Amino acid sequence: MSISRRNCIVPPFILKRLIENGDEAIRESAIASLVSTAQLRGERAVRTSVSGLGAAPADGGRTIFDCAQGTVLSKATLVRSEADGPVGDASINHAFDGLGATRDFYRQVFQRNSLDDHGQRLDGYVHRGLRYNNAFWDGQEMVFGDGDGQIFTDFTGSVDVIAHELTHGVTQFTADLDYHTQSGALNESMSDVFGSMVKQWSLHQTAADADWLIGAEVFTPAIDADALRSMKAPGTAFDNNLLGKDPQPDHMNRYVDLPDTEDDDNGGVHINSGIPNKAFYLVATGIGGYSWEAAGHIWYESLKASSAKAQFQDFADTTYRTAGTLYGDGPEREAVRAAWSGVGIAVTPVDSPPPAADSPVSTLIKRVEDLSAQVVELTDAVRALAGHSG
Amino acid sequence: MKVTLAVRGGLAAAIGPRVRVISSDAEQDRELRRLVSAAAASSPDRGVDDRAGRDVMSYTVTVEDGGAVRQLRAADTTMSPAFAALLEWLEQH
Repeated sequence: MSISRRNCIVPPFILKRLIENGDEAIRESAIASLVSTAQLRGERAVRTSVSGLGAAPADGGRTIFDCAQGTVLSKATLVRSEADGPVGDASINHAFDGLGATRDFYRQVFQRNSLDDHGQRLDGYVHRGLRYNNAFWDGQEMVFGDGDGQIFTDFTGSVDVIAHELTHGVTQFTADLDYHTQSGALNESMSDVFGSMVKQWSLHQTAADADWLIGAEVFTPAIDADALRSMKAPGTAFDNNLLGKDPQPDHMNRYVDLPDTEDDDNGGVHINSGIPNKAFYLVATGIGGYSWEAAGHIWYESLKASSAKAQFQDFADTTYRTAGTLYGDGPEREAVRAAWSGVGIAVTPVDSPPPAADSPVSTLIKRVEDLSAQVVELTDAVRALAGHSG
Repeated sequence: MKVTLAVRGGLAAAIGPRVRVISSDAEQDRELRRLVSAAAASSPDRGVDDRAGRDVMSYTVTVEDGGAVRQLRAADTTMSPAFAALLEWLEQH
């Protein structure tokens, strides 16, 4: 087996492993192949990524801190690091495992090295505050509350919630979607979409088998609620006297127009996210199979290609264009068009260039998992190639 | 004294604000006044730092003491230790 620098079929994540190989010749050859492949795929910032790899990244090493019900993060105690085994506190272990699942998902599915794609360390803080009913991303780290024990319980108990918060970091380092009105709702939706994908990937569930719920585990058994949100059926996650009715719309004709103020959820970013959430659900189930395959790659590449002020229409058009770029004029692109139509958004027709015949990106994506088992063979092949060129 | 705590935002923002009213007795008033004064001195109305935080909660504390009314606001990512101490007291009562 050989690797051509012009038309590389080796998945980028395997090349990245080769780059981290101690052999300088292998590293140089793999870098050249990675740059060539990335250029074919139109990836931005590839040279930055490569230079980051050369600088010995942390590869998303995890650190968990215990706030012990305090609110000042700098006073929290380090309780578990990457090399440590499980401890006697379920919240600590859940946070540690959830960070790991999310990190591994991004690495294995999208070849992304942690949140910033440069191996950023993952810091999680548990037991934050007294009866604290929340989990949040502060721009650098994840913070989890224990819940009040009456309505909410431990927020580390839901892997999609953990992945939701971490994905805010991914969004911050990519499109950095402005956290107001529609762009803010897209920001929230990205976290739900990738959060749900992490859960499905962890459970090896197909799109058809998944529950598409966000935060199904955060309510106490006493609360009659399915979850915080339903991507499959926005607006149906809860409906009771205590919490009221889930206000998420599932269609543009039910878009909730709120003032762009803190008191109104910055224009309803946690409310109108139901619309792009439903669109992703429709794409994933329309294509079939696993959500993190075609649908996930369309969304991920579209997130990277979006700008901070993107509106729903912009993102819909980007996904349609991306589907054409990745998969041509096939069922995937039609599924994207139909999904957005299903939530009341007509995508703008575009003439997407078909993938290059001699290097179909879609083939690369589909072969990623199969090729992962061939790392050892590839190492030998690159060593041989480096020997010939040297 | 009467204190109203309104909590908004967060991962579950769609559920809406949570509002609690806490009435303190004479014995508690002295401690509460101290906490409110400290929070006011250290934590002006800073709102939510929307450049960085996501799913952050914001807190509005309205204090009615005799005829005077004062309001303090902060968020998870912006609150001072003194505001956090006031919040903790309110959560415990």
